[in-house]
Amino acid sequence: MTQEPSNRREENALWSIFGYLVSGLLFWGGVGWAADHFLHHKYFTLVGLLVGMGGALYLVWLRFGRE
Amino acid sequence: MRALANLHAAGAGFVPPSTNDFNLPPISDSVAWLTKPVLLVFLSVIVVSTFFVLSSRKAAVVPSRLQFAGESVYAFVRNDLARDVIGHDFMRFVPYLFTLFTFVLTNNIFGIVPLLQFPAMSHVGFPYVLAIFSFLVFHYVGIRKQGLGKYLKEIAFMPGVPLPVYILLTPIELATFFIVRPLTLSLRLFANMFAGHLLLLVFIMGGDYMMHDSHLIMKLFSPFSFAFGIALTFFEFMVQCLQAYIFTLLTALYIAGALADEH
Repeated sequence: MTQEPSNRREENALWSIFGYLVSGLLFWGGVGWAADHFLHHKYFTLVGLLVGMGGALYLVWLRFGRE
Repeated sequence: MRALANLHAAGAGFVPPSTNDFNLPPISDSVAWLTKPVLLVFLSVIVVSTFFVLSSRKAAVVPSRLQFAGESVYAFVRNDLARDVIGHDFMRFVPYLFTLFTFVLTNNIFGIVPLLQFPAMSHVGFPYVLAIFSFLVFHYVGIRKQGLGKYLKEIAFMPGVPLPVYILLTPIELATFFIVRPLTLSLRLFANMFAGHLLLLVFIMGGDYMMHDSHLIMKLFSPFSFAFGIALTFFEFMVQCLQAYIFTLLTALYIAGALADEH
């Protein structure tokens, strides 16, 4: 598809991975924070962040690790 | 300039540069929106268009120096960014990528051009608009290529995962494609330009302050601050080119991703 496929694929992968990690933390961390805020707990933010991180890493593995 | 004036007017102590130095007043009081960054953006459009019209007007087989310069930039965007990243069918996107690259690059470099010396992209509104354009382009391209339903399905549902896991993964994928991508695209450019300009302000204003200080030792060290300011200006030049390149590269990568058949 490209002139230097391996190089470009790595570049693409780098930014995709970065995007996944950020949005995993943001989304599930945000959900956890909202849960804490409305249910008056303390631990959901942490749980959310961990779940988000795990989900993001799982996505990265699904997309780039399975080849 | 205003920052320096403030500094001397205050008289007491070093006032470090702050975000206030980015809120430049309107050039004329009657037109509130016409500030220096806005003017620079207009100027960049004029500069870019003039340069490329002039460099391509008398196109010859044996290029003049100007034509060579213009064609080098064009060839760089077409070959190294569009063709290598998007692959076949890349010519459709060259006009957009080329405009994006030259526009961002010119505005960034305005940050170190004497007298202009302000990167418009350090106002977050400008990168936002550019990122929205790129956002619309790559989603539009993807929807046109694959149809709305299939495009969204490919984004949201990674194949080969047990059904309940989608509750965990789908929000992350959607957030990546619709929020994080345009946001990081614009914030990366904004933050780099903002921090770079602030860095230069610190060293140049610091040098100026030390030069006017009554202590001899401060005066002696002032040239070092200026020298560092000059060194950082070259560093900034590198960052400015790099950020224009990255912005265009990522747009091309997103377009390529939207066009790709498999996820």
